[in-house]
Amino acid sequence: MRRLHLTRRRALAAGLSLAATLALGSPVLAEGFPDRQITMVVPFAAGGSTDVVARIVAQKMSDDLGQQVIVQNVAGAGGNLGADNVARAEPDGYTILMGTVATHALNPLILKSTPYDAEKDFAPISLLVVVPNVLIVNPELPVKTVAELVALLKAEPGKYSYASSGNGTPLHLSGELFKSMAGVEMEHIPYKGAGPALNDVIGNQVPIMFDNLPSSSGHIKTGTLRGLAVTTKERAPSFPEMPTVGESVPGYETYTWNALFAPAGTPPEVVARLNDAANKALADPAVAERMTEFSATIVGSTPEELAAHVKAEIAKWTPVVRDAKIQLD
Amino acid sequence: MELFSNLALGFATAASPENLLFCLIGVLLGTLIGVLPGIGATATIAMLLPITFQLEPVSSLIMLAGIYYGAQYGGSTTAILINMPGESSSAVTAIDGYQMARKGRAGAALSIAALGSFFAGTVSTFLVALFAIPLTGIALKFGAAEYFSLMIVGLVSSVALAHGSVVKALAMVSLGLLLGLVGTDIYTGTPRFTLGIREYADGLNFVAVAVGVFGIAEILRNLEGEKTRSVLVQKVSGLWPTRDDFRRMAAPVLRGTAIGSALGILPGGGAILAAFASYTVEKRVSDKPEEFGHGAIAGVAGPESANNAGAQTSFIPLLTLGIPANPVMALMVGAMIIQGIVPGPNVASEQPALFWGIIASMWIGNLMLVVLNLPLIGLWVKLLTIPYYVLFPIIMAFCSIGVYSVNSNVYDLYAVAFFGLAGYLLVKLRCEPAPLLLGFVLGPLLEENLRRAMILSRGDPTTFITRPISATLLLIALAVLVIVFLPSVKAKREEVFQEED
Repeated sequence: MRRLHLTRRRALAAGLSLAATLALGSPVLAEGFPDRQITMVVPFAAGGSTDVVARIVAQKMSDDLGQQVIVQNVAGAGGNLGADNVARAEPDGYTILMGTVATHALNPLILKSTPYDAEKDFAPISLLVVVPNVLIVNPELPVKTVAELVALLKAEPGKYSYASSGNGTPLHLSGELFKSMAGVEMEHIPYKGAGPALNDVIGNQVPIMFDNLPSSSGHIKTGTLRGLAVTTKERAPSFPEMPTVGESVPGYETYTWNALFAPAGTPPEVVARLNDAANKALADPAVAERMTEFSATIVGSTPEELAAHVKAEIAKWTPVVRDAKIQLD
Repeated sequence: MELFSNLALGFATAASPENLLFCLIGVLLGTLIGVLPGIGATATIAMLLPITFQLEPVSSLIMLAGIYYGAQYGGSTTAILINMPGESSSAVTAIDGYQMARKGRAGAALSIAALGSFFAGTVSTFLVALFAIPLTGIALKFGAAEYFSLMIVGLVSSVALAHGSVVKALAMVSLGLLLGLVGTDIYTGTPRFTLGIREYADGLNFVAVAVGVFGIAEILRNLEGEKTRSVLVQKVSGLWPTRDDFRRMAAPVLRGTAIGSALGILPGGGAILAAFASYTVEKRVSDKPEEFGHGAIAGVAGPESANNAGAQTSFIPLLTLGIPANPVMALMVGAMIIQGIVPGPNVASEQPALFWGIIASMWIGNLMLVVLNLPLIGLWVKLLTIPYYVLFPIIMAFCSIGVYSVNSNVYDLYAVAFFGLAGYLLVKLRCEPAPLLLGFVLGPLLEENLRRAMILSRGDPTTFITRPISATLLLIALAVLVIVFLPSVKAKREEVFQEED
């Protein structure tokens, strides 16, 4: 299975190739593009982690493109509404999508019918960042490591529940993947978004949760929540002490990613111009600082690498979704 | 005392010329968008987020907070003047406020709303300062079972919201509950009653439904009889509340503030629930319940205080836990992250100037709002003298822009049109729209928490009575039910009913 491994070495390589591109002069870019404002559709509500990434990047891209990149939130149907809007938009580069693992890998697998084809209906622009997920528990739960949690769940099967941000979300699937790979039982309790779920884990209404690292990092640092492990292959730079789930459950790896897409049929030179602006934004030290504080790892890519990444992600999640028997209408 | 040094730090931060300016900009913008029906604080703050990049974190958060509670003030203006709730939480104010305006007492209603809000804002700001951290602990004790029982209290009490037949009120609550079912079931992901329209996958938009059943229905009703309306306008008398009005608003304002402060802490529509709860309580304790629905002062003073108090205390979970209680708070979290502040329990200790500065700015902002709004009342009332054939297309345009701007979803506009017609039909059938909205707000919460509590207890329904907070709430619901059907109260109810018919 081909997979895009997002290691620090890889990020460095991307950075170097970016520097080389800048030094040698940009490839042929679209003449006269852009001559008006660009709309970046975020398929989730304002204030969430995808929205924050979009706003930080859009700001810098505006400086480079000389035209405003406006963030528009089109939330609904787990990201499908916004993604579908962009898939059907005029392929001129003036409407682009902040896609995620949900819109471009999970939704097409989970839903009986998706209004768009994640691969055919989009022209990939660039992968932007990867955000680790984290396995957290309420501090009253008597476990300090993943191994202890697995032992507890095996000792009392069916007793414990875990919270997620909703049915079919990346965090739900992180939990289901954990259940099947560690061979444990937990009842899934979906919420309407990560906020209320986190609230109930802090209040010990539900003891266990998979969350995006950025939203719970403050709680892990102050001890209101206990972070057991991050879900990425390697430890998170912002929490070097915290092990990975894979260290206890070999092969386990999940993460959330953000990438820019244009509608299929967008001229390659327009895509190249947008890719250039996106990667320049990622190379900006202020952006890097924000992303690090946010526990997001900057990746960057070429359009071809993003296309391969989407293919690899779909291949990776297909068996997980099948085994967990998650099918939504 | 630590509190005083903290407050001193807060006021020193909030009172810097720059922060005062941003506070003023925030409350001005908030009032403006509150007045424009449909355009909510969520959309405005989302649009302004990019601008806040350039500002100091504390200035930008002070401005955004100002927009939020400024909108609570402004929202009541249109609710009172044209029966069009500018903000979802002012839907309750429309019930009696608009009736006051129709009786030529628009000025008094607006003053009562502004003064009640200011009082509630002041008290709840100090509550936030004093008890933010201990109160958080209480909010965390509320699990699914407790929320379910709280919603039951709300539903049982809602019968009091209607001032006509109990049967019609129950029918409206049930219809509201059913409308609340539209959308994706969060436990199975199955779309329900969406008619196959993906745009309704997340349910009907509250603002669209409220604007429809209250505002558009009222426009239709007004267009029916142009003459009656112009007569009403001519007898606008006395912009200020009389001494008697002040006497009658004091207790409702106090009760509203208490209810709003308590419910605001709980996530999920705190300010709206608070307004409904306060109206219910006022109607119950009033010695003239027949006035409700016909311009009762308590029906404006109570809910207005409650929604403003709720708006302030809903900052508690945000400031102490970094957990947003509603969509506006979620945007504030986003604004903090963009500014490089990771929201969480450590904000108060790591960024004391920011934490206490925001709290102090809330009180300053409330003061600015009352100073701004009282002189404007004369101007607002003059709006009523604009010929209706000029006014109503403007209202319609702003409503449509406002509702569309929330989600950029054209189906929300179809919902406005549909519920406008439905609301008109309900008026003709003498059914009240308020219980319908309450059912619509409570329904999804009721279902979500009932099912979550049952999954957590693995199907054991005794969870609702073995958990102390939940059991207490259910006892309260039972008590309310008994009071409603007690012979003396029942007789009074019927009396009221007959007077109205």
